[in-house]
Amino acid sequence: MSANFLDQEFPDEEDEDDFNPQPEVGSDDEADAKPNVEADDDEDEPSSERPRARSAPKDEDDLKEEDGDGVNAADGEDEGEADGEEDPQGGDEEEDEEEDEDEEDEDEEQPSRKRRKRRRNQFIDVEAEVDEDDEEEPEEEDDMPGEEMHPDDLQELPPGADRDDRMHRELDRQRERQEAMDVEETAARLKERYGRQARAGGAGSAIVPQKLLMPGVNDPRIWRLKCRPGKEREIIFAIQHRIVERSKSREPVQIFSALERSGPMGGSIYVEAARQDDIMPALEGITHIFFGTKPQLIPVEEMPDLLRTRKTKQLEAGMYVRYKRGLYAGDLAQIEDIEPNGTEVELKVVPRLDYGLNEDANAPIVEQDGQGGGKRKRVQKPFSARPAARLFSENEAKKRHSKYLQSQGGLSRNAWTYQGKDYRDGFLLERVKISALQTENVNPTLEEVTRFAAGAEDGTENLDLAALAATLKTSAGADYLPGDKVEIFRGEQNGLIGRATEVYGEVVRIRVEDGPLRGQTVEAPKRDLRKLFKEGDHVKVIGGSKYQDEVGMVVKTKDNRVTILTDSTQTEISVFSKDLREATDSGGVVGASKYDLFDLVQLDASTVGCVIKVDRESLRVIDQLSNIKTLLPSNISNKIERRRDGGSAADRLGQEVKVGDAVKEYGGEGKSGPVLHIHRNFIFAQSRESRENAGVWVARCNNVEISAAKGGRVGTDLTKMNTALRGPNGGAPAPMPPPQQKGRDRLIGRTVRIRMGPQKGMIGIVKDATDDSATIELHAKNKKLPIRKDKLAVIDPTSGNVIAPDASMFGSGRPSGPPGRGGPMGGQTPGRGFGGPPPGAGGRTPAYLGGGGGGIGGRTPTWKQDSGARTPAYGGATSYGGGQTAYGGGQTAYGGGATSYGGGSVWGGGGGGGGMSTWNPNAGGGRTPAYLGGGSKTPAYTGMDAAPTPGFQDSAPTPGGNFDQPTPGAWKPGQYQTPAAYNTPGGFPETPGPYSAETPAAHDDGPRYD
Amino acid sequence: MSQVPRSLRACLVCSYVQPQSKFVKQGCPNCETFLEMSGSSDSVADCTSEVFEGLITVNDTENSWVAKWQRLIGYVPGIYATQVNGVLPEEFAAAAENAGVRYIPRDGSANNDE
Repeated sequence: MSANFLDQEFPDEEDEDDFNPQPEVGSDDEADAKPNVEADDDEDEPSSERPRARSAPKDEDDLKEEDGDGVNAADGEDEGEADGEEDPQGGDEEEDEEEDEDEEDEDEEQPSRKRRKRRRNQFIDVEAEVDEDDEEEPEEEDDMPGEEMHPDDLQELPPGADRDDRMHRELDRQRERQEAMDVEETAARLKERYGRQARAGGAGSAIVPQKLLMPGVNDPRIWRLKCRPGKEREIIFAIQHRIVERSKSREPVQIFSALERSGPMGGSIYVEAARQDDIMPALEGITHIFFGTKPQLIPVEEMPDLLRTRKTKQLEAGMYVRYKRGLYAGDLAQIEDIEPNGTEVELKVVPRLDYGLNEDANAPIVEQDGQGGGKRKRVQKPFSARPAARLFSENEAKKRHSKYLQSQGGLSRNAWTYQGKDYRDGFLLERVKISALQTENVNPTLEEVTRFAAGAEDGTENLDLAALAATLKTSAGADYLPGDKVEIFRGEQNGLIGRATEVYGEVVRIRVEDGPLRGQTVEAPKRDLRKLFKEGDHVKVIGGSKYQDEVGMVVKTKDNRVTILTDSTQTEISVFSKDLREATDSGGVVGASKYDLFDLVQLDASTVGCVIKVDRESLRVIDQLSNIKTLLPSNISNKIERRRDGGSAADRLGQEVKVGDAVKEYGGEGKSGPVLHIHRNFIFAQSRESRENAGVWVARCNNVEISAAKGGRVGTDLTKMNTALRGPNGGAPAPMPPPQQKGRDRLIGRTVRIRMGPQKGMIGIVKDATDDSATIELHAKNKKLPIRKDKLAVIDPTSGNVIAPDASMFGSGRPSGPPGRGGPMGGQTPGRGFGGPPPGAGGRTPAYLGGGGGGIGGRTPTWKQDSGARTPAYGGATSYGGGQTAYGGGQTAYGGGATSYGGGSVWGGGGGGGGMSTWNPNAGGGRTPAYLGGGSKTPAYTGMDAAPTPGFQDSAPTPGGNFDQPTPGAWKPGQYQTPAAYNTPGGFPETPGPYSAETPAAHDDGPRYD
Repeated sequence: MSQVPRSLRACLVCSYVQPQSKFVKQGCPNCETFLEMSGSSDSVADCTSEVFEGLITVNDTENSWVAKWQRLIGYVPGIYATQVNGVLPEEFAAAAENAGVRYIPRDGSANNDE
């Protein structure tokens, strides 16, 4: 304590030093000094001398040096006298002479200090003064020597007066001292801070956290009044006006403050007053305030909400914003630069210029910058007329507006001034007030953003995804899951690290893992949290970033940005920590797009393209005109599924080209490669040699040559026409190759047209035919002439429609009958015939089976099926097939010489007679069953080929084999049964004739064979 | 009726609101000592912002809770803004610091943490 005391006292000494000398110096101008002090003196002390002496020290500094000597001298003398005086009373204080002296000095100084304090109080606070003294202490200590002054003092002091005060002052002083010691340090700091602060200001309160400023019971209350929306500011100014107006009047405005908040709180003003009664007088008569409703008291706890400020989103260079209005309303712009005071930004935007193209040449010239009149005359351009957003083109500008165009020197040549605005790299650079911009919910689309992706020299796009992310960043913040390691990065618990244990709503409950709160659970709002990762953590990108699903190792973390080294590509990427999560798996699927590489996609109604690159968010597509486009998946209407048969096209030589065939570009670069897609007459092929566009190239199909058909197929693939290779039994080998056509050519009797040669166009009937030629009796002249079959076309005698364009092909391998007819009918017929056997059981087969002919029975359906299967393939040729059947029939009858097969002739008659109508039904339905019935196999054979049928049944070779086998056995009983059966259906509606005829034929045949 | 003056600006330090011309002419009544805006429209542009929200007319800066909350104690009565967007440039912030005034941005960033 004593030490402290000493310390404490020195300042006082100094004070005295300051003061004591004064009288000496000041004595000259005592008169001047006195008046200043008088008032104080009277109050403070009985003695006026002292004050007078001390009055001058106001400018201590000036006098200090001079005083120095005097002060010390005074001190010395003072000591002696003071001691003498104090002795009687100050027994307790005497332990330390020096101390006493000091104290005495203090005593003497005390009043002055008070006085000074008072005087200064207006400007300076108590603590500050103490400190000031402290500061001066060393200086004064040095110059102890002034003593001259003291006697003066003593003389002037009435001995008693000093002592009277002393005790009280001593007490005061002690108290003060104690206080002072406590606050000494604080005071030092405060002084450091505010020592020079001559004015009281709001700054002092700045240190107090706002939370401690919460309204208390003693604070005034706030009432809400309704007002006309939009007039809030006006009202505030009116109130302010009134406050000023009445401040000097007798009844000043009693309210403390009035405030308005625009936005959601519009339509009300808030008045702070001690009593509600104060409000009315203050606001009476101010327009736009609605006094109809009573002022509504705002609850104390809601008062801070009235003044809540929310930080508007911090704009950063590179972020995206949208124009709110004007020519570019709604356009996306990128922030280039931000004005220091944060009210304006420099934007980069794709300009909308028409380069004067739409200017009305006859329009009166209007001043461009609209000074005065020009402004008024300016016509509001209709919004719809705004030019499309395109990058600035100096060439366009030169066309009409070269006078407005100036090239800006500098390093980059691509900087221009056009009509007073700056353009760089095609973008317009413009200063815009933030208030004219939409900064929230910008939601730039990738297309828009890609416009700003500056194409670098090497063609790579440097899309500032960080900026994009900053724009896209949602306020919701990250998605936290229990177990996530998080850090509180702001707020009171800033720096706390822990693991999320529970997440509900916007609040995350965290178990603290570090620090003094370790083990405790705290709650924090999501927005104060960020995920925490350490270098080396294995993390996965979970969203919000183009790197979604990428997995990698954390290599660097800085604030909320984390750099990770991806597992898949070993590249470093930076993402926000909120988009990361600790990952256990490695690898990671690289973004699964809806579309795969080399998919054929529909871009619009007339455009298709082949995907040549699949990015996370975009696709690169080469369209049918070889244009390369980068698209979003959403720009693609759909994927064109490859047709089942892959589609086909003809190359320039007319060869069929199918998917997978190797083709070579004819002319051009001679690119080659297998066909990926055929779309209409465009071929997408992939070159193995080229890496450009993933090797994909596009050509018209008549611009390519097939170089190798897939699977060695050469030319037109006729195999597809061979229905034997397709259909249900396609895979199985035909049970029997169709026998060579024997006997009567099916062409005989057909109406044909000569396709080429001198007789081209003439029509006739085939009278006779060989393998490759036919004898034709021309309709036009009664003349028969031999002609090559391939020069003939089989036509429909009535309509003249071409049935078979090439007669040489006619009748070979054509199935007969309309699709499906053969089978069912065949089944039907026997079913009916037998009456008994279950019809569904493939009546035909059972019939034979019943006859005991396992083999033949088995075969029969096969054949039928064959025919059945084949038939549909001939779809187009139904009538023709029918014709064939007829022929077969005809042939059978002929070959077999069987009367019954006169059925054929019956038909033949029909055919010959041009009774197509008769023939057709017959061929379609009636006939086939007839054959079935007749010879079981007939339909099959007819189906296969006209030739076999007769051969089978009647002629020796083939059937022989057949019948020699189980068939005959089976045949006979079958036959015998059959007739009966067939008699029954003799009533077969359409073709009674044939039936009746055939059945016997079978009979006849049968015995004959036997 | 008193109209709302045009081109109002708010002091970035104390949020005092007055027309730009007044700032140029007289400076900020509270912060003039260190911002020294009067006569310099550049300083005015730097130290004041035209983007502010929420007007408050304060009659009694000593006893008003609003003034307390807004840290306006000791300032002159007048019109203040609740929120002033913009940041005081570095050199002015330093000047304020030297003058013993702690600059607290009034753009709402200070009390984000509540």
